Amino acid sequence: MSELERALVALGRELDVPEAPDPVPAVLGRIGPRRTVHLPRRRLVLALAVLALAALGATLAIPEARSAFLRILDIGGERIEIVDELPELPLVHELERTLGERVTLAEARRRRNFELRGLERAPDGVYLGARGTVWFLYGTPERPRLLLSQTPLLDVDAPALQKKLVGSGTLVELVDVDEAEGAFLSGEPHFLFLIDETGNTVEDSARLAKDVLLWDEGGVAYRLEGDLGREEALGLARALRSSN
Amino acid sequence: MYQGIAFRTAFLLTGSASEAEEAAQTAFVKAWSALPRFRPGAPFKPWLLRIVANEARNRRRQLGRLRALELRATAAHPLGDAAPSPEGAAIGRELRDRLLAAVSRLDERDRDVLTCRYFLELSEEETAAVLGVRPGTVKSRTARALSRLRVEVEGVEP
Repeated sequence: MSELERALVALGRELDVPEAPDPVPAVLGRIGPRRTVHLPRRRLVLALAVLALAALGATLAIPEARSAFLRILDIGGERIEIVDELPELPLVHELERTLGERVTLAEARRRRNFELRGLERAPDGVYLGARGTVWFLYGTPERPRLLLSQTPLLDVDAPALQKKLVGSGTLVELVDVDEAEGAFLSGEPHFLFLIDETGNTVEDSARLAKDVLLWDEGGVAYRLEGDLGREEALGLARALRSSN
Repeated sequence: MYQGIAFRTAFLLTGSASEAEEAAQTAFVKAWSALPRFRPGAPFKPWLLRIVANEARNRRRQLGRLRALELRATAAHPLGDAAPSPEGAAIGRELRDRLLAAVSRLDERDRDVLTCRYFLELSEEETAAVLGVRPGTVKSRTARALSRLRVEVEGVEP
């Protein structure tokens, strides 16, 4: 070990690191029973205005620095960031651009080595997305009625698969999907980004998403997106069958 | 048992006690959820610290903060010297401050590998597991980081 390396080790031992707080009470609280989170409705008017502009395809002009993160939830392979102001975002309107390569169901089965699940009827479109994701589209890309994505969670400490940016007009409820923990987002549309394998947000993937149910089960992260109520989404989730 | 090293890792990567506390808590929750997938016989510490480090780095990225600037050293004696003279203590303090400032000026990739290898005193294999890279990458990245650090501090001989 060189003198510089020894100096670094010595420096490390002398760094002023605060005493570690006891994490047990907080951790136990966080792994406790499911709960429902009602977001504060503050700045709702601003959030609604921002989302309305976004829906029209406008580039929003709210300085990013003013956006304050309120809380973060990691559920079903997705990171949900709840903010009181939404940042400047050019949105993608062609759904297929955010889904990936269009393939047949047989091709998806062949190229993905985990059990695919779907509704009783076959999807109208199948796409292979980033990080092993398979998308089932019901309806057309122009008029999607339901989107189901499935992503294998190979490593729990890998970065989240997607990031949601949620304004105060969106309700986030923590729910149980059978035995799995999940979240249902409803109310105002929220922004959805893809996250690459290094954990960075893919800025040009932002699009508006409707009601979404997220959960993970058996090492696979699922998301159901569509114009659904909570009970209908939960019912569809429970009705998923093997597509293999 | 691992609370101390988890918090220390998060603190050294974020430079913030509150962020470190949050990162460590979240990491414990994730580790708890992932325990069924933990490979029996694998070393636990690097597995846990990788989760901690990912949380800490995500938080650091969101904050956009230069965490190293917030680090402070406590002792007033020369690095590695147990019984300094007053003059020696002053020299040691100057060297230590210069070294800390130099580490702070490195980019995140260099700082992270030096933090793991020297401030946390992890082996190359443990550092590789924590940072999610190959051991060979740790070796080359460490050599480059040390080289850049030498340039930054200039007065410190390798």
